Amino acid sequence: MTLRAGWLPPATAGLAVAALMGLPFLTLAPNRLVPGAPVGCGLAGAAAGALAAAAALLLAVSARPWRAWAALAAALAAWGVLLAAAGQGAASLVAGQPPAARAALGSGAWLAGLALAGLAAEAARAALPRRGGLLAAAVLLGVTGLAARDGLLDAVSLAVEYRARAGAVTTALVQHLALSGASLLLALAVAVPLSLLRLRDGPAARLADGVLSGIQVVPALALFAALVAGLSGLLALAPALRGLGLSAIGPTPAVIGTAAYLALPLVRGFSAGLAAADPAVLDAARAIGLTPREVLLRVRLPLGAPVLIGALRVAAVQGIGLATLGGLVGAGGLGAVVFEGMAQFAQDLILLGALPVIGLALAVDAGLALLAGAAPERGEEPA
Amino acid sequence: MTRRALTGRILAPLLLAVGLAVLSLPEVAGFVVRALGLQAGTPVPAGRLAWLARHHLALALAGFALAGGAGLALGILATRAAGASLRATLDTLAAAAQAAPPVVVVALALPVLGFGAPPILLALAAYGLMPVMRGTVGALATVPEEVRRAATALGLTPAQRLWRVELPLAAGPILEALRVVLVLAVATTAVGALAGAQTLGTPIVVGLQTQNTLALIQGAAAAAALAFLADAVWLGVMRVVGRVVGGRA
Repeated sequence: MTLRAGWLPPATAGLAVAALMGLPFLTLAPNRLVPGAPVGCGLAGAAAGALAAAAALLLAVSARPWRAWAALAAALAAWGVLLAAAGQGAASLVAGQPPAARAALGSGAWLAGLALAGLAAEAARAALPRRGGLLAAAVLLGVTGLAARDGLLDAVSLAVEYRARAGAVTTALVQHLALSGASLLLALAVAVPLSLLRLRDGPAARLADGVLSGIQVVPALALFAALVAGLSGLLALAPALRGLGLSAIGPTPAVIGTAAYLALPLVRGFSAGLAAADPAVLDAARAIGLTPREVLLRVRLPLGAPVLIGALRVAAVQGIGLATLGGLVGAGGLGAVVFEGMAQFAQDLILLGALPVIGLALAVDAGLALLAGAAPERGEEPA
Repeated sequence: MTRRALTGRILAPLLLAVGLAVLSLPEVAGFVVRALGLQAGTPVPAGRLAWLARHHLALALAGFALAGGAGLALGILATRAAGASLRATLDTLAAAAQAAPPVVVVALALPVLGFGAPPILLALAAYGLMPVMRGTVGALATVPEEVRRAATALGLTPAQRLWRVELPLAAGPILEALRVVLVLAVATTAVGALAGAQTLGTPIVVGLQTQNTLALIQGAAAAAALAFLADAVWLGVMRVVGRVVGGRA
């Protein structure tokens, strides 16, 4: 049994109840651009609040395993009631209204949803300390996906906006993954030789370190803009480079700019990982006749693996966030969706771009955390 | 870091700041743009640039004060006996806060808070809070337990122990965490231009939209100059504080 923060479940349940009671649950607007009039959540909200309170109570009373599972079930039931209330509420609000009318989720629904997700994660971690958070995320997403597939959420404004934009959002998602993936690869291509160079501390390594640290200070918006200007100048001087696929506007500045910020965490993490091996182990490896190359591949890399994957994790999450700015320099991606939404002041379109960015970052973080956690665990198993 | 190395660390960002500030002047930037063989658009007058820089700095400092103040307070609370349970959730929250980059926070806040300063202030506070909090917790954890016990044995109250023993001993790493967050705040404030805040990001965004390379270069150079200047000034502050704390010991 791990030591848990005892005040956290009651606090999240309290937040959910307060959000459901005090904030607008849904808003009804005549079209997708104007802010809507607030609508409360009624009985279904009260039921969701009661279930959340029950889950917190079950977690607070005792540490027996079945109580944690019961709390998880109660939190999931609260989530289901919240989804049903949102879907049904939105459907009844827009019924009889002109087709352009939108019933959007209000701040109360968002905050209560966040609190319930946190509560479910707490319950799942009490039930299953190791993989609880992942279990909760998978089940919550699964329930939401099923509800969306069965058309329960069809009347909610966000789903209406998604149906109108499904193709564009999917393309943007693929572009976003390509942008952040390409940036990570470019940053790796710079960081791997630099971290090997850093193993032997010399003036070249220190210079590279200084340049990479300096780039971190430059605002991302300024660096992207400078790359656009610099690339246009370069292409004006040497038009032949266009043949290589370089352009001043588009993916080129976005990938180079993002990679520039990812290089420092990668170099720092990789050199720390490569230096993680105990000097005595390195001496022993050399003494049994391993070449420097073998020492690197068979001793330094396996021993430093958790640190190496940790650095990759930080860089990958940052890359997904930074690639959002690519939308400003014509590289597309989810940032383009966000900025189009901002230009139109259309909340649903902003959400359609922003939610996948956050989701992707969390998914990459969790995935690489699993990978980092798997490495030492495998070693602990009896042979 | 030795005092001499720290002087070197101050000089590099200071020189970069001065160089970039010169580059942001309309005449110099115009010369560079023409030298690159590009079409120069309408320049941003130096006076307007200075006004934007003042606005930019005020916003960044307000966001830094929000994030720094709250982060320090929460960090100190988390290391007191009463707040010990807070520490377990710190890492989870830190990861969650990193998943929503400032641009996304600004975009999400725009429909709720409207155009202008509030969205970027929210993003600065949200993004800076966790690094300060974690830095404070980590710095206070470096104070040896024997020192803490000795302070209690000397009859210091918990508040006196915090102010006269723990914080001075942990000042270095805390100031370093605050430096990172200050530089981050000055750099990130440029993004506020997307939500209509008047910052040095404004000429960049307008320049990108109207393909005015001159305004774009001026804004980018000025924004970077301000970030390097903030870095240099804070390093200077750290040097002075290091001398005071070191002199007392």
